[in-house]
Amino acid sequence: MSFIETERLVTMANQIGDFFEPYASERRIEGVRNHLRNYWDPRMRQALYDHIDATGGADLRPHVLEAVAILRATAADKKAYAGPPQA
Amino acid sequence: MPIPVRPDHSVTTTCAYCGVGCGFKAETSEGRIVRMIPWKEGKANHGHSCVKGRFAFDYYQHPDRITSPMIRKSVDDPWQEVDWDTAFAYAAGEFKRIQAEHGVTSVGAVSSSRCTNEEIFLMQKFARVALRNNNIDNCSRICHSPTQFGLSATLGAGAASQHFDSVLQSDVVLVVGANPTEGHPVFGSMMKRAVRRGARLLVIDPRRTETVDSPHCQAEVHLALRPGTNVLVLNSVAHVIVRERLYNEEFVRARCDWDDFGLWMGMVGDDRYSPEVVGPEAGLDPDDIRRLARIYAAGPNSTIYYGLGVTEHSQGSTGVMCLGNLTMATGMIGREGVGVNPLRGQGNVQGGSCLGSWPHMLTGYRFVTDDVVRGSFEDEWKVTLDSEPGLRLPNMFDAAVTGSFKAIYIQGEDPVQSDPNRHHVEAALRAMDCVVVQDLYLSETAKLAHVFFPGSSSLEKDGTFTNAERRVSMVRKVVEPLGGLADWQITVGFMNAMGYECHYDHPGQVLDEIARTSPAYSGMSFDKIDRLGSVQWPCNTDAPEGTEVLHMATFPRGKGSFMLTGYLPTQERATDQYPLLLTTGRILSQYNVGTQTRRTANMVWHDDDLLEISADDAAARGLANGDRARISSRYGATELTVQISERVNPGVVYTTFHFAHTMVNNLTSDLDDWATNCPEYKVTAVDVERVSVPQPVAGS
Repeated sequence: MSFIETERLVTMANQIGDFFEPYASERRIEGVRNHLRNYWDPRMRQALYDHIDATGGADLRPHVLEAVAILRATAADKKAYAGPPQA
Repeated sequence: MPIPVRPDHSVTTTCAYCGVGCGFKAETSEGRIVRMIPWKEGKANHGHSCVKGRFAFDYYQHPDRITSPMIRKSVDDPWQEVDWDTAFAYAAGEFKRIQAEHGVTSVGAVSSSRCTNEEIFLMQKFARVALRNNNIDNCSRICHSPTQFGLSATLGAGAASQHFDSVLQSDVVLVVGANPTEGHPVFGSMMKRAVRRGARLLVIDPRRTETVDSPHCQAEVHLALRPGTNVLVLNSVAHVIVRERLYNEEFVRARCDWDDFGLWMGMVGDDRYSPEVVGPEAGLDPDDIRRLARIYAAGPNSTIYYGLGVTEHSQGSTGVMCLGNLTMATGMIGREGVGVNPLRGQGNVQGGSCLGSWPHMLTGYRFVTDDVVRGSFEDEWKVTLDSEPGLRLPNMFDAAVTGSFKAIYIQGEDPVQSDPNRHHVEAALRAMDCVVVQDLYLSETAKLAHVFFPGSSSLEKDGTFTNAERRVSMVRKVVEPLGGLADWQITVGFMNAMGYECHYDHPGQVLDEIARTSPAYSGMSFDKIDRLGSVQWPCNTDAPEGTEVLHMATFPRGKGSFMLTGYLPTQERATDQYPLLLTTGRILSQYNVGTQTRRTANMVWHDDDLLEISADDAAARGLANGDRARISSRYGATELTVQISERVNPGVVYTTFHFAHTMVNNLTSDLDDWATNCPEYKVTAVDVERVSVPQPVAGS
């Protein structure tokens, strides 16, 4: 069983994606990445990764998927910040 | 007439009810509190008080108080009274066993804004050094967590920009989603004083509250918007300011990021946010939106006060950002009489936010993922800290339901009664192996606990509170703790039993530790607060006696940041099956879920939660004043007594949530804010139907 129900995680991730939707592409993706990195417990992130690996990211917004891909590749490289996406 | 009791002792302390944090002289006779006298030197209240702080103090000696620690193996077993050492050893043994079986991160804790700064700081320290994880949250998760997020994003500080007295220098007062007359009455009186002196009052709230229309206080413009449309309407206000060029270009160029301002202008300036488009969707006259925007922008000193009507939405953080954006666009920030100010619900919600009781942040709103910040705490505490964010309280419950989270230590909170979707919370607690509750009474949550630590009221301990204007005031022990230990001593006892040795002779030593680790509190001490009466943070070498107004010369991160606040309708919508929108609020004489005030003579003023409904909606359902009505939502149902009211528009119903038996949180959804998981308490689609014959309704 997922750490937290997958439907709940997908809803939360898409809500974050929806907030950053008005930003241009690069910042939109960076906003989601920064939020998932610094506000989500790593087990929640891992459960989201597992969902993406199992389904290709079913029901996730495209820019959320792109943000997760960057997050998985860069892990903790970038310092946390509050405010507008820095990209 | 009975002869008044003559007090033999008096202690100056701070009220623990709402976020105003009034100073009181608590007077005792033969060791019992006999009256609370408003403290004339109190800088938050200047000798004023409300009926909660003044009269609702007897709860501390109510027969329901539990004064002995208790343990039990199963929630189906009877409680067994034990001594403190046995209770600490049992709880620690269970937590250590669970961590050994399920991992270090399978347990967590939540702190309470009814507790002092020192106690909240110790709770987050407990999680980080004794549990060795960041699974720590505080009760602002379900009220003002969007304030911390939204104001930090725009202005760089998740707190009120002003001191309360600043409102007396305002020309325009904009109140959004708050009813200070009932919820924060002492500040409400000061605000009314400003209105009587000529300040123009603007209100955005679905309900015609007492703030909108009461003796000596009438709003010039009231936007009675449809619940759930805050961001839409605030963007429309911004639209008018942008399209009519009412913004303060000089201020924005000097103080804010100009590029992001341009993006923001492009977004809110779009035709989709014109009042003529927004008005019909939000249930408003477009001309009223324009009038409000023009009055606010004209000032010359306009200020914003807001409450849970902004934060408790799926776009709660976005709504707070809208307010931050408005203050910057119009230059209404950084001096007396202007600013943006959350009206905090509980006495120490601001302290709960400041003192690191977050899964992602240490004190001073600094990320746990920051190696330098974390390192400063590791040096102080001599342990290696978890470098990853922990779980928020709602996510602890989510993980418990799936079997991934096994134990929790709850200080002074009653999530079964106060958190959304009661069924989900109860299922989560029942799924845990060990629930430790520290409270005054056997709360609804304690009924599902395995360990009960008898907590102490704010009248039984020393420490400090931080009120809604960032003012840190002394809380002083008036009577001895009925359970033998103050809350800070309980947490220290549990921490030692968990294997992390620490010792404090007095909570003043905890504030010293806070000062060593927290920049905004670095100049504070019990001695200084005693000497000055109270101190507003930041208090440091630059401002050794504290700071009344924030953002005077610059914002904490330099330039202010305009955030893009696109409107997204909530998923919670009225339908044919659930055609009405329920919203909630408070009444003057009761406080939050009523745990304390229901156990006092304040019951004489308000002894039940009522359902306010418009005459049209009542007539359509055959409802009269005093009828019992069944209220049902997609999530549950309850019954309330009907009060037909002109304060709500057709299509909207309203109730308070002060009584456990009404179970209003049976109705609320588990939808929550995108950024913080703050629940969407303020919008629930419901139906209402008559269930019985009329009964008398108080105050109808």
